[in-house]
Parts: sequence; C-alpha cells; structure tokens
Amino acid sequence: MQAIKQSMLDKLSVEQIKIELMRTAFGRQSVLLSRFDPRILIVWYSFFAVAPWFFHNKTILLGMLVPMAVLTLSSKVSPLVLIIMGIGLVSEIMYILFGSLLFGGSLEAVWPLATLTVKILIISLASIAVFSSMDPEKLSDALLSMGMPAQFSFGVSYGYRMLPILIEEYHNLIHSFRLRGRSPRDKDFLRWRSLVYMGKIAVCAFYPLILNTAKRTRTTVEALEVRGFTYALISPDAKRLKLAYLRVKPLDFVFLGCSALYMIALLALGRIFVL
Amino acid sequence: MVSAPRRRYELTQSQKLMVFILAMSLYGISNMFSELIPEIKLGPIEIKVEYFAFIPLTLCILFNPLYAALGASFGEVIFGELLLGQFGGLGELEKFIEFTLAMYIAGLLVSDPRNRKQLALASFVAVGIDQMLSAIVDISKVWFGIEELEAVPGIPESIVLIEGLSFLNAMVITGILFSLLPTLFLVPRLYGKIEPLLGMKPRDSRVQVSFGKLMTPRLLITSILFVFIGVTGEFLSEADINIAVWEPEFLEQYGSGFMWVSVAAAALVLIVTLYAAVRAKSKNSQSTEGSQI
Repeated sequence: MQAIKQSMLDKLSVEQIKIELMRTAFGRQSVLLSRFDPRILIVWYSFFAVAPWFFHNKTILLGMLVPMAVLTLSSKVSPLVLIIMGIGLVSEIMYILFGSLLFGGSLEAVWPLATLTVKILIISLASIAVFSSMDPEKLSDALLSMGMPAQFSFGVSYGYRMLPILIEEYHNLIHSFRLRGRSPRDKDFLRWRSLVYMGKIAVCAFYPLILNTAKRTRTTVEALEVRGFTYALISPDAKRLKLAYLRVKPLDFVFLGCSALYMIALLALGRIFVL
Repeated sequence: MVSAPRRRYELTQSQKLMVFILAMSLYGISNMFSELIPEIKLGPIEIKVEYFAFIPLTLCILFNPLYAALGASFGEVIFGELLLGQFGGLGELEKFIEFTLAMYIAGLLVSDPRNRKQLALASFVAVGIDQMLSAIVDISKVWFGIEELEAVPGIPESIVLIEGLSFLNAMVITGILFSLLPTLFLVPRLYGKIEPLLGMKPRDSRVQVSFGKLMTPRLLITSILFVFIGVTGEFLSEADINIAVWEPEFLEQYGSGFMWVSVAAAALVLIVTLYAAVRAKSKNSQSTEGSQI
C-alpha cells in the first residue's frame, strides 16, 4: 500500500508532468491526414463538426462514424486520449440515464441517449483525427490565412519556444518553496493535509512566476518591436511571405471529393434504410 | 509630476501586446497543470479544479481587462489544447467566448484593486458567468441532440440536476479555493509592483469611473442571468407540456425552432454586450478628449 502511494505521488511530481508535456508538445509523427493542406482539413472538419447535429437518422450517423474511426486509428492517436474520451462520454451518458430513472423515467431513454452518444462521438473523433495529426504551427498558419488575427499564430510559435522555459521556472519555484517550507509531518486521513500544502505551494509559486514572466515579457516585446513586429502583424506582404509554403494540391481535392461522394452515398442509403 | 492631466488609463500598442503575452503564457502554463490534476468522482458529482481562475482574473483587474482576458483565452487554447494535442475544434470557440466574456466583465467590475469587497465580488462573478454560460450550452446540446426529448420522461430534469450540481461544485471549489482566496492574496501584493516591470503606471483608483462603465457590467450580468433562467424554465416547461400531446412531425420542427430561439437569444446577448462595450469605450474616449481640451 505504501509503495502504491509512493508511486502515485511520484507520478504526480512536477518532473513527471514536465516530461509528459514535452512529449505531447514536441513528439509528432507524420500520418495520413498530415499530408493534406491544413486549410482543406479545417474546412472538412467544420462540416463534420456541425453536420451530425442535423441528422436524426441513425443509418447516416453510424455511416459517418465509420470513416471517423478509421481516420482516428490512422492518425496514431495515443490510446490514453481515446480511453479518457471514452470513459468521459460513457459516464456522462450514464449519469443522465440514472438521473432520468430517478425522476421516474424508464429504460426507453437508452435509445435516444445512444443517438446522442453517436453524435458526440463523431464530432470528437473528427476533431481528434484532424487536430492531433496537424502540427500546431501549420494549424496556426492555416488559421492565419483564413483571417485569424496574427496574434494567435504568434502565440503558438511563442508557446512552443517558451513552454520548456516556463515549466522549468515553475518547477524551480516549487522546489525553492519546498526547501524553505516544512511539509506536514503527521499522517492523517487520505493525506489531505499534504494535499492542501501542495495546493497552497502551487498557488503561491505563481506570485514570483507572475513577476518574472512580466519582466521576461517586456524584454520579448521590446525585442520584437526592434524588429518591427507590430508592423509585420498588419502588413499584407509579410503575411504573404509567411504563408507562401501553403499550397492546395490535387491530392487535397481528391480527399474532399471522396468525402463528398461518401456523404452523398450515405444520404441515399439513409433514405432506403431508416434505422 | 508637473501638473499631469488626469488622463484615463491608456496603453500603447506594445503595452497591449505585453499584457496579452503575459496573460497568455501565465494562464497557459497554469492550464496545463490544472488539466493534469486528478479529479475525485463521487457518482455524478465531480470534485475537481476547473481552472486556476485567479491568474486571468488578477491580470484583468491589474491591467486592461480586454487584452488580459483575450490573452488568457488564447493561452488556454494554445498551451492547454493545441500543444497538448487535444484541440477540440469548434467546441473551443464556445469556451473561448464564455471565458473571455466572464473575465472581461469581472475585470471591469473592479474599479479599485485595493478594495477587497470588489475583489471578492469579481472573483465570484468571473467563475459564475463562465460556469453558467457553459451550463446553458451543455443543456442545449443534449436538448438539440435528442430528437424526442420531451417524449422521454425524466431526462430534462436529470440534465438540469446534473448541470446544477456541477455548477455548484465549480462555484465552491474553483470559485473559493482557486479564485477568491488567491485573488485576495495576489492582487494587493502585485498592485503597484508589477506595472513598473511592464513600463506602465498602476491603474489609478482616483480616476472617476463613468456611470456608463459601472452600469454596463451590472446590466450584462443581470441580462445573462435572466437568459439563463429563462432558457432553463422554458426548457422544463416545454418538456412538461409536450409529454401528453406528442406528435413526431410537429415536435421535430418545434424542437429545432426552439433551438434557434435560444441560439438567437445567446447571439443577441453577445451583440448587446459588444455594442455596450464599444459604446462605453467610445464614450470614454470622447469624454477624455473633451476634458483634455
């Protein structure tokens, strides 16, 4: 028991979290969907994120679910993400069901709730498939070319570069707080005293972090201003130069065409077989 | 100080950028950690930390609330979602609007960062607005996603109960532990200390806050509250009435019709909000120009 507790606490350590974050933020591989133009993928996604709400025909919904599942599998999403999503979805639906039984409902509620689950599943699988296979910088460039403020794309690049430094700094602050403080010694129920202590440190460490980040932000912004950043934000020439590498290739149209054909076939099928 | 005119609190372009980046990176980092904090589940009641609301709130109070709120929301999307590989697409837009609106309004409410009462009010308002809006969206999602919702007894009450519980949980855990207490601790300490680091003057409490500026947030909160109550009430009452006289064709049309009504209501609130904000801003700038002349 003690060993389990110890290993749980180790998993919760900032060091572990840091490694986990770095791995998700920087370790990406090329998959099927990452070959397409990000703008095309966004258009494709925005259709599949909205469309399921307008269909109540279960044939169509199940038909939409199949390609989503295939694409999600092809984009090598970590199983952890999928498991978390699955548990969340199932438990939410279960609570609604139990609640409805509490208010005098019956088990008939299962069927409409299953429809709802399929809808949510299609949408979340579409977003996982598209956005986990896309490099964040590519995504931000695509959004920039679609008229998103340049601050966003700047934020993504900035986040990429500053992330390790900020995490390191927060970690160091927590270390120094723990060095100077004394953690609660007596063991009590569920270790809640040490949980409170950790929570307090986690919040207090933000005080120096805020001040340090403010200093660093000023340096960054002044350096950016020297290089004409605010001008580049609004200048169309700079934008064109930055986005020159984005090109829609024939392959993208093939992808869109296939999706459209599939949807048309599905709609036709949905007319014949109404589930 | 040689007769400095009583200028309103104004920022240059690069100072706005500084506030934006500061809010973005700080809230982004905190969001990464709060996503990883495990939650305790007791049946449908989840005890969890929704977010570290005190960081954007503190920055909204100390600096220009609009840029701090926008920066924080961007930070959440970029650090908490994009870099972690869990970007949710359109769902993020909803969170973005809710969170920015909540933080902006809370930041506007505080006219004097040293006034503890205002800080306490702002920290509850911030979490309250955000959670309320997200509850509305969640309820309408289930409502719209299930075709014959009114025909299935029990589900509407169940959803309202679950959303109510999660709202209460968020208000208690996030609202008190991660919004009220840290804000009361941080804002008085940072006030006057952090602004020079960004090369700006502290927000001056002596500057008279115009009536319009004080009025708008209050108006907004009440309007949002009313929309929430209205939608919930409508939702429950519709469900009651329609169980008896349920006809598939009619209900399906009626159902999507009602969805659009609530969407329109939400959009209306948003438009009114933006309009009021813009008007208040232009009014202020006009009045400052007037006083400077």
